[in-house]
Amino acid sequence: MAAETTPDGVGQWVGKSLPRKEDKRHLAGASTFIADIRLPRMRDVAFVRSPVAHGRIQSVEIPEEHRRHVFVLADLQPLVPIGGGPEMATFRNVAYPPLADGKVFFVGQTVAMCIGRNRAGAEDIAAEVFVDVEEQDAVIDAIAALEGDAPLLHEGWPDNSFIDAVISEGDIASVADAPVKVRRRLKMNRQATNPLETRGVIAYRDHRLDELVVYSSTQGPHVMRHGIALALGMPEHKVRVIAPDVGGGFGGKNRLMPEEIALAALAMKVDHPVRWIEDRNEHLIASVQAREHHYDLTLHATREGRVLGIEGSVHVDAGAFALWPSGPFMETGMAARNLPGSYTVEHLQIRTHTVATNKAPIGPYRGVARPGACFAIERMMDELADELGIDPVEIRRINLVQPQMMPYRTAGGLRLDNGDYPAALDKALAMIDLPALRERQRRGEPDGRRLGIGFAVYTEQSGHGTVEWVKRKSRVVPGYESATVRMMPDGTAHVLVAIQSHGQGLETSLSQIAAQELGMDPAAILIRHGDTGVSPQGFGTFASRSIVFSGGAVAKASRKLAAKIRRIGAHLLQVSEADVELRGSCAHGGSGSVSIAEIARAANLRPEMLPPDTRPGLEATETYEPPESGGVFSYGVHAVTLLAHPVTGVTEILDYVIVEDCGNLINPKIVDGQIIGGVAQGIGTALYEELSFSENGQPIATTFGDYMMPCATEIPSFRIGHMVTPAESTEFGVKGMGEGGAIAPPAAIANALNDAFRFCGAWFFETPMTPRRVSDAVVAALESEAAA
Amino acid sequence: MKPALFDYVRPESLSDALALLRDDEGATVIAGGQSLLPMLNLRVTAAEKLVDISRLHALQGTNDDGTTVSVGALVTHAAIEDGLHREAFNGLLQRVAAKIAYRAVRNMGTLGGSLSLCDPSADWPACLLALDASVIAASADDGEREIAMEEFLVDAYTTALESGELLTRVVIPRRPMARWGVSKVTRKSGAFADSLAIAVLGDGDLPTRVALTGIASCARLLIRTSGILDEDREATAATLAEAIREDIVEVHEDVTPYQLRCHHHTVSTAITEAQSWSK
Amino acid sequence: MVEVTLTINGEEETVVIDARDSLSDLLREKLNLTGTHVGCDHGACGACTVHLDGTPVRSCIVLAARCECSDILTIEGTRNDAITDVVRRHFHDKHALQCGFCTPGMLMMAVDIIRRYRVPSEEQVRAELSGQICRCTGYMGIVNAIVAAADELDGQRATA
Repeated sequence: MAAETTPDGVGQWVGKSLPRKEDKRHLAGASTFIADIRLPRMRDVAFVRSPVAHGRIQSVEIPEEHRRHVFVLADLQPLVPIGGGPEMATFRNVAYPPLADGKVFFVGQTVAMCIGRNRAGAEDIAAEVFVDVEEQDAVIDAIAALEGDAPLLHEGWPDNSFIDAVISEGDIASVADAPVKVRRRLKMNRQATNPLETRGVIAYRDHRLDELVVYSSTQGPHVMRHGIALALGMPEHKVRVIAPDVGGGFGGKNRLMPEEIALAALAMKVDHPVRWIEDRNEHLIASVQAREHHYDLTLHATREGRVLGIEGSVHVDAGAFALWPSGPFMETGMAARNLPGSYTVEHLQIRTHTVATNKAPIGPYRGVARPGACFAIERMMDELADELGIDPVEIRRINLVQPQMMPYRTAGGLRLDNGDYPAALDKALAMIDLPALRERQRRGEPDGRRLGIGFAVYTEQSGHGTVEWVKRKSRVVPGYESATVRMMPDGTAHVLVAIQSHGQGLETSLSQIAAQELGMDPAAILIRHGDTGVSPQGFGTFASRSIVFSGGAVAKASRKLAAKIRRIGAHLLQVSEADVELRGSCAHGGSGSVSIAEIARAANLRPEMLPPDTRPGLEATETYEPPESGGVFSYGVHAVTLLAHPVTGVTEILDYVIVEDCGNLINPKIVDGQIIGGVAQGIGTALYEELSFSENGQPIATTFGDYMMPCATEIPSFRIGHMVTPAESTEFGVKGMGEGGAIAPPAAIANALNDAFRFCGAWFFETPMTPRRVSDAVVAALESEAAA
Repeated sequence: MKPALFDYVRPESLSDALALLRDDEGATVIAGGQSLLPMLNLRVTAAEKLVDISRLHALQGTNDDGTTVSVGALVTHAAIEDGLHREAFNGLLQRVAAKIAYRAVRNMGTLGGSLSLCDPSADWPACLLALDASVIAASADDGEREIAMEEFLVDAYTTALESGELLTRVVIPRRPMARWGVSKVTRKSGAFADSLAIAVLGDGDLPTRVALTGIASCARLLIRTSGILDEDREATAATLAEAIREDIVEVHEDVTPYQLRCHHHTVSTAITEAQSWSK
Repeated sequence: MVEVTLTINGEEETVVIDARDSLSDLLREKLNLTGTHVGCDHGACGACTVHLDGTPVRSCIVLAARCECSDILTIEGTRNDAITDVVRRHFHDKHALQCGFCTPGMLMMAVDIIRRYRVPSEEQVRAELSGQICRCTGYMGIVNAIVAAADELDGQRATA
């Protein structure tokens, strides 16, 4: 690991690179993912899915011998249609039915479900169900979708827009006569989220507990419980959602999907458990999809390179439905509001269009909107630099928010809390040898490839609470998390939380926080999560929120419990409570000490040993929301050096430097892992991954043969430089950072390609920058140069 | 993503296998299965009956008679990658094998299977075309016949194998001094080739053979290009480039501008690499 | 229905299967050996990698019926294996896993890489891993862990 600096720890356990508790079961192949669960008499489900992108269902023909095992929407009733998206009158809403309701809106939409002895048997039945669809013209381009002659997806809508809005700050008219204008169109194409474990649902009725049990590979079991109960019209206390080991999510497992409702509803109809495990083909055509932003932007600037205003439009291709709870509008709003990025732009006016198309609905994916916004603004910055003949590093220096300006409210309305952005840029420069790279660039490569160096600056809003989510009109407001710390009679403890750890190592880092507050060893603490039957209310793991919210709740609950432990300890030691300190799993006071285990035994089993007026038991529950509800901002700079071949367009990353500041670190090793993993996904966005469609809406990438997932040969080693500006408003001064890595790579890599081919002026405004796109861009530039 | 139902038989001998193939037109041969099983899982292809030849002794092993090397159809990519007959082809087979898909796939995938499938992006057809190899096809009633690679490779997923015929061996003229070059463009490592060119320069009586794949049909020889390299040692770069372009346009119908550039690059690079070997 | 007899993790098993069952189906659904994960079911992600007669294969694209008389090693069979334990320890130390879904396949591949290369370079490890998808770690920890494990095992051999 090439961490240039490793921040000092901030406590005995907090700040330490503790090896992860999760590893043991995974390394033994002994974890329990949803497909590993075995229940008596469980049957597999396969879905019949729409073969066309848009059309009216004439009939669903089910062979008589299979009628008992095939279910359409009418068979699952009663169901309550629930719509997703913001709670706004101007947002056009239409419920996404668990199985098609008369019409199909994209290839892969669920039409019917089939129960088989095993998955192959279920697929055999599905293959014999014939869906007769009267095909209609498909809408596959978000910009053309709003033109007058575009076919309409949803009846009663005046056009194909979920919502149009204007994000405006300052007065864009005041910069109309700015001397420099740079206008570009950019596009970030559609992607799949592709956790290596696909989604999956198992549902059955537990008659003893009188509840519907839904196992789901989800990031947020409590919110899913609420959604499933709503959709089934069931009282929520009779629904239990369990997320077992979850094999990655990245946002793609944080929406209520039709399969979850369908399986839950089916379990109410049959007398055996039902299971559906999404296969990769289903994942690529019909799971939560992401990105697909179109930007048409104009920068207004001075001749010295200061950006005065950003103007233009953002179209987000949202697919056919708004996923519950939040829908796609947040994607559009965040894309627009993040355009000013880390810069002191004062005027912003962006028309936003959240557009319905005949594609699978979009949802969150690591970085949510910001990879697109960062790509757009950071590419525009380089374009402005090129226009003015200013160095790309210099143009950033001119425009970056300075530390003394913080907290700084951007033109996007985001409050950048603290940090030193110019210092991060300097640090990145210090980690590469730019003069040597420029010299190499001048010399050229023996194999004809071109060297390019690109930079991108990003910010990452994290840990935002009630006010921010209310501003986004979210119908579920994840403004807090809760934690219960429960100590056993022998002094070991469970911490019950409602986040869901699916790779983030929260079983380790949250135990470090509890251990810190309780003066215990993390080994004596188990984190329990992912089960609504176990955890207090909460929202799950997404939006880089878990360490801020759940970490804060664990700290608060642990502190509350620690106070009681000290009180009992003081009584047992016959000293005053103020003199008692918890460390090394003991309460120390005066000249003596008593083990926490002794105190726990007294509290749980020997009430006569307790001080007067002290209730028995050792358990505390707390909720937590950081006082600064607008969030705390991690930030960083990426510096990429790459080689690209002008003819084949093949790109190779030579060096990738990341400077980042996420405040204090609970577990530095886990933080580095999150950074690297995020950057790897960002490289996928930048160079490899794309869901494209034929003119009639047929998906092109339906297997890993067509959808390029980056592997160890595509992803380089990384060099990370940490800066630490503790957050002022959070417990331990932490900031969330799970998504940041994924935000900047498309921008940094595109800028590096721009740098590599600056000599001919090739344009890189669309991701992924596949070999074909790179080669075409270079040829187009050379041809226009020749023609000029 | 599970296959539809099929029957499965594993004949004990080559003659049993050939009899099965003769008697049952619905039978599909499976060897390593590394292409067939994904296609069956995706239900993009179906089989009534799979005839598993993966244990047939007669299709394993190799023989080098000093002039040609005969490679059993069941020899895996991994075995070749690990050095089988490296010297006989001056390392060319090894180089090609090592870049096919991924090791776990190469451990199962076979030379004969790859040729019989004739995927337009596969590596072996181009390589064996450049090496002027031929295949031995066997059938229950007609015995064996030898088919030159040019005739064997008909079109995408189409070979000259007739119903009831099984590819049993590949016969490759030894080229221990071969001067060769390989150039491949893929969207990522291990992915099927967008373009793959293999050049084997002429030597004595043996003519130069430059093969290209990643095209609409299947691997093809570049006739003009190969000819110029043999006949016109003084040919200018421009002449060669024009020959390459003409060849590509001829073998790749509806070639896009990008594909044309890519193919041109791989062909030129393969030739340059081949020419860089010391004689 | 087909009956196959094969050795799995050192134990002989006779299992009744469908002809269309893959080796991963046999392991997971018939024998409940769920440590072998299925990430794509079309041979493109490497999560289901097991050893068949000593070499790594993708169990989702190997027919179970073909494995008659074969010797299969899965992640469960490595739980007491000294070499895999060294690799495991380095995976743990180098943060080579996050969600853990790709991990069993990575370990099965890692052991084979070390067996074939003895002391592989970073570049060799990357090339050999190029068919194993990990969506979480960015591969760096995995690559470093395999290189370090190989070095340690080589040192053990040298001093043995």
